[in-house]
Amino acid sequence: MVSYSALVLILVLIAVLTLLGVNSAAFAQETTERYLSARIEIWALFYRLMVVAFVIGAVVMGTMTYVIWRFRESHPKNRGDITPAAGGGAHH
Amino acid sequence: MVLEVRKPRPLWEILFSTHHTDIGLLYIIFSLTLFFLGGALAISIRTELFLPGAQVFEDANTFNRVFTVHGTTMLFLWVIPFAAGIGNYLIPIMVRYKDMAWPKLNAVAFWMIPVGAALVWLGFADTTWNAYPPYSILRAPGPAAEMWIFGLKILGISSILGAINFVVTILKMKHPDLPMMKLPLFTWSILSTSLIILMSMPTFAAALIMLYTDRLGVSGFFNPAMGGDPLAYQHLFWFTFHPEVYVFVIPAIGMIYEIIPKFSRKPIFSYTSGITAFILLTIVSFASWAHHMFATGMSFTEKTVFMIGTLAAVPASAMHIFNWIATMWGGRIRFKAPIAFVVGGIITFFLAGAGGVVNSAMPLDFLTHDSYWVVGHMHLFLMGIITFAFVGFIYYLFPLITGRMYNERAAMIQFWLMFIGVFLVFVTQHLLGLYGMPRRVVDYVPVEPLIIMNQISTVGAYMLLVGMGIFLFNLIKSAGWGKPANMEDPFGIREKYYDYRRREPHH
Amino acid sequence: MGHGTLEWVYVGVVVAVLIYIGADAWNVETFLDHAPEDAQVVKVTAQQWFWTFEHEDGRRELGELHLVKDIPYRFEVTSLDVIHSFNTPDFAMMIDAVPGRINSIWYVPDQAGEFLIQCREYCGFSHYQMRAKLFVEEPAGGGEQEAQVTNASATNNLIPPLGAAAVAS
Repeated sequence: MVSYSALVLILVLIAVLTLLGVNSAAFAQETTERYLSARIEIWALFYRLMVVAFVIGAVVMGTMTYVIWRFRESHPKNRGDITPAAGGGAHH
Repeated sequence: MVLEVRKPRPLWEILFSTHHTDIGLLYIIFSLTLFFLGGALAISIRTELFLPGAQVFEDANTFNRVFTVHGTTMLFLWVIPFAAGIGNYLIPIMVRYKDMAWPKLNAVAFWMIPVGAALVWLGFADTTWNAYPPYSILRAPGPAAEMWIFGLKILGISSILGAINFVVTILKMKHPDLPMMKLPLFTWSILSTSLIILMSMPTFAAALIMLYTDRLGVSGFFNPAMGGDPLAYQHLFWFTFHPEVYVFVIPAIGMIYEIIPKFSRKPIFSYTSGITAFILLTIVSFASWAHHMFATGMSFTEKTVFMIGTLAAVPASAMHIFNWIATMWGGRIRFKAPIAFVVGGIITFFLAGAGGVVNSAMPLDFLTHDSYWVVGHMHLFLMGIITFAFVGFIYYLFPLITGRMYNERAAMIQFWLMFIGVFLVFVTQHLLGLYGMPRRVVDYVPVEPLIIMNQISTVGAYMLLVGMGIFLFNLIKSAGWGKPANMEDPFGIREKYYDYRRREPHH
Repeated sequence: MGHGTLEWVYVGVVVAVLIYIGADAWNVETFLDHAPEDAQVVKVTAQQWFWTFEHEDGRRELGELHLVKDIPYRFEVTSLDVIHSFNTPDFAMMIDAVPGRINSIWYVPDQAGEFLIQCREYCGFSHYQMRAKLFVEEPAGGGEQEAQVTNASATNNLIPPLGAAAVAS
C-alpha cells in the first residue's frame, strides 16, 4: 500500500518537474520579444493537449480493441467449456 | 410486472397502479416516447443545417424554439425519467423489498412528469435550455417562457420526490441481512444520483422562481436595469446543472456495471473502487460548476479554482473505465446487444471525457466555448455513453419486462448504425467548433469546410434516425410477437438474472 | 482498496497527466490575463443584433472595426440589452458581453486582412447573423512595430482561415 502511494507521489513529482521545464521555456521566450501572440499560444496549447489526448487515446483504444478481440467468446483459446479465469476478480 | 402487448391488462390498472414495476414501466415508456419526439426535433435541426440558408424553418424563431425544446426534452424527459424508471424496476429487487418506500409518492413523482412535459411542449419556448437572463426575462416571448419555467419547476420537484424515495428505499428498506457493501453497484449509482439531486436541485428551483418574478417585473434579481446581476443566474443554474451532468451519467455507469460482469462471466474487478469512484464523483461534481462560465469575464483566480475542480472529477471517471476494462480482461465475453452497446458507450465515454479535459483548460475556452465543439462534446456524452448504456440496458431488461426476447440481429444492426452515426455527427461537430461555428444558429457562413462538415454531421444524424427506427420497430414487434424468453437465463450466459416473479402489483 | 499495483499506477498516471494539463493551461492563462500597459482601448458595445465600436480617439464605427496590425488592443466589451459574446474566431478571442459589466480582453492583431466578428452567445431572433467585419490594416509608418510580434509568420497556418473566407464570400 505504502509503496503504491509512493509511486503515485513519484509520478506526480516527475510531472511537476517536466512542467517547470515547460515553464522556463515559455518565460525565456518572453524576455526576447515584446508581445506574444495570444492566438499562437492558445493554438499551441491546444495542439500540445491534443498530442496528450491522442497518445492516451491510442493506448485506451488499443487496449479496448485487444480485450474485445482476445476475450470474445468465439476466440480459439476461449472455446470449449472452460471455467472463467481465476484471479483478478473480487469475490464479494 | 410482465408487459403483455397482445393481451394487455386494462389500461387503468397500469395507470393507477402504485407498484414499482408498473411505475417503472410508465417511466420507461414515457421517456422512450419523448426520446423519439426529441429525436425528431434533432433531425429537423440537422436537416436545416445540411445547407446554409433556409431549408426547413421559415425563420430563426421557429428554429430557436425547436432546439430549446429538443434540449429540454432530451435532458429532463428522456435521460432523467429513464434512469428513474430503471431504478424503480430494479432497486426494490436489489434491496429485497416488496416495493419502493413510499409507493404513492412514487406515483405522484411520475405523474408530475407528463404535466411538466405538456407545459414544455405546449409552450415551445425559445429561451434555450439554460434560459440565461436578461434574454429570458426581458425579450423571450411569453407565455412560452412562463410555461417553460413552470414545466421545469414541476420536473424539478418530481425528481426531488423521486430522489427522496430512492434514498429512503436504499438506506432504510434494504433487507437487514444485506450489508451496504454487498449491494450491486447499480444501487450505489442510484444512491449517488439521488443524493446529488437532493443537494443541487433546490438551487435551480429557487432560480426559477426568481426568473419568474423577474419576468413579472416585480423583482430584479437578474435584471441589470434594476440593479440585478445576470451572472448570478448562471451561477445558480450551473450549480444545479453541472452536478446534474453526473445525475445523467452515473446511472448509465451503474447500468454498465450491471451488464459487463454478466456478459464477461467474471466478477467486477474491484467493487470497492467502483464505490469509491461513485462517492468521489458525488462530492467532486459540486466543485466545477463555473467552468461553464469562463468566458463571462471571470477573474483568473476563479477560473483556476474551477479548472482544478473540473480536473478533479477525472480520476474517478478514469477509475470506472479501468474497472470495466479490467473486468472484461480474462473473461469470456458473449457479444450480445447489451454489451455491444456498453462497449460502444465506453469508447465514446473516453472520447467525451478527453474532450472535456481539453475543454477545462482555461485558455482553450476561447476556442471551444459556445461553439459547436461544446455541442459535439456534450452530445458525445448524452448520445454516446448515456444513451448507449440506456439502450443496452433496455435490451438487457427486455426479457424481464416483456417475458420475450428482442431480435438480436436487428439490435446489432442498430448498434452499428448508431455507433458509426455518433462518430460522424459529433466528432465532426468538434471540428466545426474549431472552425468557429457558433452553436444555436439557424444559418452559417457559407464556406466550404463548414458546409462539408455540416453535411457529414447530417448524414450521421440520418444514420442515427435509421438506427432509432429499427430500435422502435424491434421494441414493438418483439414485445408483442418475440420469442418467449427463458426467464432463468435469457441470454444463455449462465449468470443470475433478475427476479421475474414480481407479479403482485396491487396493494 | 488494495486492488493491485496496476490500478494505483493507473490512477497515478492519470493524476500526473491532469497536473500537467492544469499547469500548462495555467501557465498560458497567466500570460493571456495581463494586457500590455500600452494597449489601445476599444470600447465594444453589443446590442440586438449589431456591434458598435469606439476607439480611444473617439472614432466610432458600426458593424465594422478597423485595427492596425501589430498594435496591442484592449477591448472593453459590454452590452446594452441581453448577453452577447464578442468573438473573432481567427484570433481565438472571445468574451461575453454582459449588460451592466465591462469585460476586457486583449490581443495583437498579427495578420492583415478581413476577418469575421460574430456573436457566440444566444441572443434571440437574429443571433445567427449578428456579425461584423474586422479589418486589420498594415501600419502606415511601417517598419518599427513589425519586429515586435513573435514568430507569427512561422505559425500563421495554424488557424483555419474561416473568417477571411467568410468576409470574402
